Amino acid sequence: MKKNIITTVVFALLVFGISVLCVFCPSPGFSESERRELASFPEISVQSISDGSFMSQFETYATERFPFRDLFRSIKANFATKVFMKKDNNGLFAADGHISKIDNEKNPAMMKHAEERFLYLYETYIKGKTDSVYFSVIPDKNFLLARENGYPSLNYEEFIDEMKQKVSYMKYIDVTSLLDIDDFYTTDTHWRQEKITDIAVKIGNEMGTDVMATYKENVLDKPFYGVYSGQIAMNFPPDEIVYLTNETLDNATVTYYGNGIPEKGEMYNMKKASGKDPYEMFLSGTMPVLTIENDNAKTDKELIMFRDSYGSSLAPLLVSGYSKITVLDTRYIKSEAVGSFADFNNADVLFIYSTTLLNNSLAIR
Amino acid sequence: MVFSSIPFLYYFLPVVILFYLVVPKKLKNAVLLLSSIVFYAWGEPKYVFLMLGTVLANYILGILIEKHRGNSLAKVYMTMSLMFSLGALGYFKYADFFIENFNRATGLSVQLLNIALPIGISFYTFQILSYTIDVYRGNVSAQKNFITLATYVALFPQLIAGPIVRYIDIEKELKHRTHSFEKISAGISRFVTGLSKKVLLANTLGELCAFFQGTTDKSVLFYWLYVVAYMLQVYFDFSGYSDMAIGLGKILGFEFLENFNYPFISKSITEFWRRWHISLGSWFRDYVYIPMGGNRVNKVRMLVNIFVVWFLTGFWHGAEWNFIVWGLYFGVLLTLEKFFYRSYVEKSKVFGHIYVLFLTAVSFAIFGAGSMKEAVSYVGGMFGVNGLPLVSQSFIYTVKNYWLVLVIGIIASTPVWKLALTPKTEKVWAVVKIPVLVVLLLLTTGFLADGAFNPFLYFRF
Repeated sequence: MKKNIITTVVFALLVFGISVLCVFCPSPGFSESERRELASFPEISVQSISDGSFMSQFETYATERFPFRDLFRSIKANFATKVFMKKDNNGLFAADGHISKIDNEKNPAMMKHAEERFLYLYETYIKGKTDSVYFSVIPDKNFLLARENGYPSLNYEEFIDEMKQKVSYMKYIDVTSLLDIDDFYTTDTHWRQEKITDIAVKIGNEMGTDVMATYKENVLDKPFYGVYSGQIAMNFPPDEIVYLTNETLDNATVTYYGNGIPEKGEMYNMKKASGKDPYEMFLSGTMPVLTIENDNAKTDKELIMFRDSYGSSLAPLLVSGYSKITVLDTRYIKSEAVGSFADFNNADVLFIYSTTLLNNSLAIR
Repeated sequence: MVFSSIPFLYYFLPVVILFYLVVPKKLKNAVLLLSSIVFYAWGEPKYVFLMLGTVLANYILGILIEKHRGNSLAKVYMTMSLMFSLGALGYFKYADFFIENFNRATGLSVQLLNIALPIGISFYTFQILSYTIDVYRGNVSAQKNFITLATYVALFPQLIAGPIVRYIDIEKELKHRTHSFEKISAGISRFVTGLSKKVLLANTLGELCAFFQGTTDKSVLFYWLYVVAYMLQVYFDFSGYSDMAIGLGKILGFEFLENFNYPFISKSITEFWRRWHISLGSWFRDYVYIPMGGNRVNKVRMLVNIFVVWFLTGFWHGAEWNFIVWGLYFGVLLTLEKFFYRSYVEKSKVFGHIYVLFLTAVSFAIFGAGSMKEAVSYVGGMFGVNGLPLVSQSFIYTVKNYWLVLVIGIIASTPVWKLALTPKTEKVWAVVKIPVLVVLLLLTTGFLADGAFNPFLYFRF
């Protein structure tokens, strides 16, 4: 009898206690660990109740704003990996001191979409204006991590070969041979700027221009918890962001066209360095169009670079080889509008994309 | 709303329990009914009126059946109850299936109705039919209080995923039920066990199944691994849900019958169906098979009876051909056992188990498919007819990733723990039981707060 009373009282306190916390002490509206806004309490109306949207939004709210959610997520992640001995948690795994995400399925439809978008750009703007058109693929860090550690993995060699065939009108620049796992952040998907100067030199050489490889290393005075850090929900030491500067970069002029209107800015955006994703400090992160002008260049060559987020940390390392670099991200600007921002006559054109984006390319417009 | 969710555990349940405990006895059913309507409306705001309409119609028909019991009008009202309840089920669940097959057979293109299936309609339809049929048979009196009858049908612990509780089984408890710390404590223990089975085991195994379905890197052994994981997922999901329902019932003063009894330890398919989804099997036995004559007819008629029941059992699970084939597959096996070899397989300890596990594995490949075409592909994959390799990279990874969950699942699907119960271990268990249950509740909360994989398997039922 006594045991039954204790069981009842313990669970009543536990359930009612958590319930009170849910109502009066929900988690904050922004998750630092996941770097995203969490759901807010949904609007109550006859419409939202009758169509069920209130209920589904409330379920998201109750789950995302659960008190001490990060603690509970961490309990779950540790239980899954240490008690159930699972090798991944929510598709993320830790190996060789890195966190990575399982990505083992090739998506032919997405590859085809990328192929079609690139062909459109080539035929609309580039063909007949320049022969210097280059293509490079940055493999995900799984390329160096997954198979070695027994995780399912895309066949990156085959994937890159297939993409090369699809864009055979471009000259391919292989960067895979220069990559090792330390070139990537341990908690993030991206590569580290200070580790890819050799890649910048190689790309420059292949495009027939000299790229400087001497820089001063500057360490961001803030720990960098990469995108995987919060998703895996396990205590993982943060990275540090190192960004490179030299006289050329200090004197270069960066112009952003965030809304189509030119606005002068910085190569390294310190405001974004303090934001939810510090990697966005490189060329201000998500930016449809920007130009970097190097008035001290020894050449009048221009580069037009189609890229994803990996290009943000690479583009500054190519500045010394060009008088002007126009950086375009067709996830944020329609391909049909590109002509207003770039002059392709006799320019070098580089398409450089990660396998992650090429395999999920629907965002390319 | 589902039990394995933060809104249910920490918003709905505490409020309902609180109200239920503080209101006087005569209002307890009203609190249960109101909370059950909210529970149902949470997922089906529009269809709550369909459910209440079905209850109202059968409430009136139940009274009329009783009033005219013994004369032909009772039969008319009973037929009306069947037509109304099964008509709603047929319209909402099966209309598009029939239209699709009609179009396929005739080459016509009759527009599909594209009606969303009301959650739990198969469960509550069978519950309410058990009431009107039992009133017709004179086994129970018609319920004169609408709130009491509606409470029985809508009772949230068993509303959307069973067990299929018969009116006759809880008739007395609907009028008078007792509450005690003993029952509440037992209910808490049962509920947390069921929640853990669903969230920790079924959902983790469900991740394995989802990974298998999403990859193109399949192999023969991967198909087998998937089927084993899927069998365990469905078992822990469904039996976990039944445990939660039984546990909640105890907390609220009801005693629901058991729905699962370690089905995978069976030595024949006949035994398997005595242990799997017991409330459904017994419903078909008592309300379809026996009224059709059951075993007390000639062999041909008995065969017809068996196949009708198993056709209906398959069809009850979903409006797809693979469910019908799944039901008939069991019909064939049960017939073969009945007429030829059941006693032989049950005699052999090892062979009987292998026989049951092998045949149920094949059945789950059919059951888990989205269509008959997919079912053929799944079964083909298990036997290597798709030209697949024996192993693949994804298979090896999946074994490494889920081996312990599979081992725990296999052990937990048997009553092996009962063998470990000695007076000494029982004492230890009595001491650690409460902390273990607390840890399990917090763990499941962690899984739910993470927003981890949490499928709802009963959408077809």
